[in-house]
Amino acid sequence: MIEIKGLVKNYSTGQGVLHALNGVDLKVNEGEIFGIIGPSGAGKSTLIRSLNLLEIPDAGSIKINGKEVRSLKGKELRDFRRKIGMIFQHFNLLSSRTVRENIAFPLEIAGVPAGERNRKVDRLMELVGLSAHADHYPSELSGGQKQRVGIARALANDPQILLSDEATSSLDPESTEAILDLLKRIRDELNLTIVLITHEMEVIKKICDRVAVLENGRVIEEGEVIDVFLNPQQELTRRFIRTVIDYTLPEGLEEMVIKGTLVRVTFKGESTHQPLMSLLVKKYQIDANILYGRIDDIQGTPFGTLILEMIPNGGSIDQALNFLKEQGLVVEVLKNG
Amino acid sequence: MGELLAILEKYNHLLLNGTLETLYMVSVSLVIAVIFGIPLGVLTTITRKGHILTNNVLNKILDGIINIGRSIPFIILMVAIIPLTRALVGTSIGTTAAIVPLAVAAIPFVARVVDNALLEIDPGIIEAARSMGATPLQIIVKVLLPEALPGLILGVTLTAINLIGYSAMAGAIGGGGLGDIAVRYGYQRFRIEVMVQTVIILVLLVQLIQWAGNKIASHFDHR
Repeated sequence: MIEIKGLVKNYSTGQGVLHALNGVDLKVNEGEIFGIIGPSGAGKSTLIRSLNLLEIPDAGSIKINGKEVRSLKGKELRDFRRKIGMIFQHFNLLSSRTVRENIAFPLEIAGVPAGERNRKVDRLMELVGLSAHADHYPSELSGGQKQRVGIARALANDPQILLSDEATSSLDPESTEAILDLLKRIRDELNLTIVLITHEMEVIKKICDRVAVLENGRVIEEGEVIDVFLNPQQELTRRFIRTVIDYTLPEGLEEMVIKGTLVRVTFKGESTHQPLMSLLVKKYQIDANILYGRIDDIQGTPFGTLILEMIPNGGSIDQALNFLKEQGLVVEVLKNG
Repeated sequence: MGELLAILEKYNHLLLNGTLETLYMVSVSLVIAVIFGIPLGVLTTITRKGHILTNNVLNKILDGIINIGRSIPFIILMVAIIPLTRALVGTSIGTTAAIVPLAVAAIPFVARVVDNALLEIDPGIIEAARSMGATPLQIIVKVLLPEALPGLILGVTLTAINLIGYSAMAGAIGGGGLGDIAVRYGYQRFRIEVMVQTVIILVLLVQLIQWAGNKIASHFDHR
């Protein structure tokens, strides 16, 4: 659906050239929610703005449905943009227009006749649950409501793709949850493809199918969200995961665990149904002490994290770890005993 | 007694006429200034760096014109453009003739006021419109002007009040209006009471215009 190859964007600043995008390759499949996460300054914003040419890349290619976007100009570009919805961190609603008029705005731009416009706006307001606020101005709405207007507006011209630029970053946790649910729902109902950028791993965990981690203008890690959670390859990715599943042990505790080996075990799906702890004790003669444990839900798949202190009781730690790996668990030794 | 009444009547008639002349000069020149000043201001804003129709050269030229227009003292401008006034109105003396320098002085003022009001708009809103495939003209008409409307109204109010001040100067060289009366009767003939009356009328006019401008601006302000 969306294919990005070797995308480069440089900005010249007072201090020299800033490499915002340093050769980004990405592929987004139809109907998926694709998340791009990275620290501020990683190039997320530049990347998502390149998709509808709000930023003009310096090199590389962006193909949407096989068509090169970078060659679009003038009217062709405007028609193309009408088919890509976009929502923003600060909503960017017109303060001079009511909810209804804001949602009608892209339809006016596209030259949709008034009758059809009104019908469509009514449907969209219902879709996002704002019918009761039709004649309110944005200043009279809460952040979550404003973003609903933003979403309805972005959907007005029946786009195939929705771009979300930190859409929940200025919302409180409750509104964030509601907006993420709404995004997931409209993806399912309208068969949209959603590309979102965020600096919050919670957003990735909650609604994304696949994720790319961006650092210094490069994709450093990419994959199915559950796989990335299970087996992160990069330190930055681990740090992001720790913001939602914080398995850091309380300070001082690690020093106290001097006898055993400290191990992090992560697992998904059916692995959780095995009675692993008792097997460790009985078969491998290892005493395992659970210091931390939780089970999360990632896209409907249970995802578990355990921190174990393993103390040999006649058996070998290495054998026990191999056994866990054979069971499909991801094992990481945090500290040797 | 009868003589006193006659004098009062004469002055009342004089003040009423003067007020009407002032209103005529200010309103006509204001309309002209708005008609020319808004496009000039819009063009200046949208040609700025990073705006929807960035054009550095054109922007510098427009910016320069506005600055020059605003730096020429009105009294000098009035004299300097007498040939233009003659060409347009047929004479350089009288209330109608005063409209030409008033409008010429107010155009760059309105342009700057428009430029400032448009720059206040959150760039994110313009970006959102671009992301929807809006043309530059659609962005101007549907985004920039409506979003800046409260600021534009306050700016026009400010221009109107400035024009009242300028019109008094125009009066001094034969343009008529309240300023003319204040100078001729109050200053040259030592009729303090006439001068005081004209000043009171001017103060009231300014108060009224500012009050109305604030009311209208806040009516359109939904921020």
